[in-house]
Amino acid sequence: METKIINKQDLAKLIDGLISAGARTVAPVKVGQMHLFQEVRSPAEAVFDYFLARRSPKEFLFPQTEPIFSYTRQKDSVKIHPVDMAFPRTVVFGLRPCDAAGPGILDALFAWDYEDKFWFNRREQTAFVSMTCAQADHACFCSSVGLSPDAADTGADLHLTLLDDGQRYFVEAPTGKGKKLVSEFPSLFKPATDSDAAARGSAGEKAKGLITRKLDLSNVKQWLGSHFTDELWERLSAKCIGCGACAFECPTCHCFDFQDEATPEGGVRCKNWDSCCIDNFTLHASGHNPRNIQHKRYRQRIMHKFKYYIDKFGKTLCTGCGRCSRQCPVTLDIAEVLENIAAKAASGS
Amino acid sequence: MNSNGNQNIYQPKLIRVIDKIQETPDVFTFKWRFVDEKENEAFDFKVGQFGEFTVFGEGESTFDICNSPTQKEYNEFCCRVVGKVTKALSKVEPGETLGFRGPYGGSFPVDKYKGSNMLFISGGIALPPVRCVIDYCLAKRSDYAGLTILYGARTVDDLVYKYMLKDWGSRPDVKLVTTVDPGGETPDWKGEVGFVPAILEKMNPSRENTYVVLIGPPIMIKISMQVLGKLGFDPGRIYTSLENKMKCGVGKCGRCNVGNVYVCKDGPVFTYSEILALPQEDI
Ligand SMILES: Cc1cc2nc3c(=O)[nH]c(=O)nc-3n(C[C@H](O)[C@H](O)[C@H](O)COP(=O)(O)OP(=O)(O)OC[C@H]3O[C@@H](n4cnc5c(N)ncnc54)[C@H](O)[C@@H]3O)c2cc1C
Ligand code: SF4
Ligand code: SF4
Ligand code: FES
Repeated sequence: METKIINKQDLAKLIDGLISAGARTVAPVKVGQMHLFQEVRSPAEAVFDYFLARRSPKEFLFPQTEPIFSYTRQKDSVKIHPVDMAFPRTVVFGLRPCDAAGPGILDALFAWDYEDKFWFNRREQTAFVSMTCAQADHACFCSSVGLSPDAADTGADLHLTLLDDGQRYFVEAPTGKGKKLVSEFPSLFKPATDSDAAARGSAGEKAKGLITRKLDLSNVKQWLGSHFTDELWERLSAKCIGCGACAFECPTCHCFDFQDEATPEGGVRCKNWDSCCIDNFTLHASGHNPRNIQHKRYRQRIMHKFKYYIDKFGKTLCTGCGRCSRQCPVTLDIAEVLENIAAKAASGS
Repeated sequence: MNSNGNQNIYQPKLIRVIDKIQETPDVFTFKWRFVDEKENEAFDFKVGQFGEFTVFGEGESTFDICNSPTQKEYNEFCCRVVGKVTKALSKVEPGETLGFRGPYGGSFPVDKYKGSNMLFISGGIALPPVRCVIDYCLAKRSDYAGLTILYGARTVDDLVYKYMLKDWGSRPDVKLVTTVDPGGETPDWKGEVGFVPAILEKMNPSRENTYVVLIGPPIMIKISMQVLGKLGFDPGRIYTSLENKMKCGVGKCGRCNVGNVYVCKDGPVFTYSEILALPQEDI
């Protein structure tokens, strides 16, 4: 893997350079008490000394709402107006390795048989720059789903690790896109020495040590396969209020809905994030609802992420970022649910 | 295999309603063609596939393409009024423009059925999705052995495709049995009276070299399955089509996911043994 060094001033220059080059440049920005990924107009807006953004950066490939076509009514017919599917070059800075892992997990879904070009055209145009974690909390469990707070290769094009001098980042370029970004701004990236590589190694070890929550997921999928019905579901998830916040903040939830907004002259159809935890997700027009009570909806969340998606696409639909636990209004902690399942699996119940 | 090039898979094509038939008080058949003639020539689909139909300004709904692909001049779907989009559809008249995406989903393995007896069992509004298979078998009549159709509805009024039933009933190479629920008969009703599973039991069909296509309301399916089980039918030779709620139809929106399948893409046609492998409660 190509490695380099970039110092803090030069990182600012890189952001500046991309903005000048016309790229949509996105970074964590402080908004009230939280950090959000937003387009920045100057490097000063970007905050890298931060924990984790409130929402995952999924929205830069798959916005919360977007028009998929519009139409106008004509005398005897209708005219469809396609939306522009060419998207601007975008560089997103400051992802954590868990966030960088999201898109690679979802590619298979957005590609099977039919390609969602909203996703892939944006994906082509977008580069991700991740950073080794400086903080973690009790909700973080990335290392239990095969990731790590210092991993360079979870999906980012460039990965930066702040070295202990607090001024210089060790740069890894795991993809062609990342290497191109380096070669586009050659003066900003300095060669990395062996001692830099060693410092990166110890910074990585320090980051790994931040993760205190370790789950044993080895038997979870198998347990799920035979416990669609179990007392655990109601016991642990009856308190879910079906707000959908967990899915909206999630780097890997992909469910969406279509909504038409219309006037007598025409209208637009939008594709909007949705969640299996919301009560009308599977409500048929007839009134029949297979998931007619909240714990069945939450069960779908766990089943889909830790069994179905793995069976279908070979990947766990979770990066361990912990947002859903942290921000759930009723403190329904996904890691706790998984711990309970693991315990049941271990005890054979 | 990606089939859509750089196309927007969520954008419908325009179709025009060329005829509308009121089947029952709340069921309508729509015949349609693409507005763009070139699309009509290019269009092909497999028996049992569905489409996403747009009523502009109201939304999109899922309906089976209920004619056989051997019928080329126009296509059909049949819709029961239940909610917003279907209510709007009931007001759509010939000449009006709708949107269409499709054909989507898997199909009935009509080639595998060749040489076999076919037993079609259906109830209520679920005849249209069975009809595409019946029509196909009739169009290729010599490829199939016996064709038996059992169709029931709540009342005589609720029977759809009365004109087709008449045609099938008059054919010497089709055995048609129609029934209505007890109390649903009229004085001049000549068919059976009783629930579909009870009539099925009475018919006592042979499982020899037979495939079954079974589509209907959940309760009808459940009890019919018990009867078929008693008669020794193999669930692997019984086919049905699921109607889980859908949005995208192309395996992206997650709506139709049940167990390890996305019904829109892995289905909607399944054998009964495949259905038994799914979490029943979620269907
Ligand atoms: C594969 C498949 C084939 C179908 N074939 C037929 C058919 O041939 N004839 C027929 O009458 N009906 C069919 N249905 C059911 C039909 O799609 C729904 O009755 C219809 O979408 C209800 O829409 P609505 O807007 O009137 O109801 P509303 O409750 O107002 O629905 C709002 C939205 O919810 C969705 N929705 C609600 N119920 C269903 C449902 N049961 N299935 C799918 N989406 C739903 C639709 O996207 C709809 O736009 C089929 C469903 C599926 C999944
Ligand atoms: S089914 Fe639920 S858990 Fe799975 S992607 Fe959709 S919203 Fe997320
Ligand atoms: S688990 Fe929590 S965040 Fe998710 S839907 Fe339920 S209440 Fe909302
Ligand atoms: S309808 Fe969207 S995934 Fe099946």
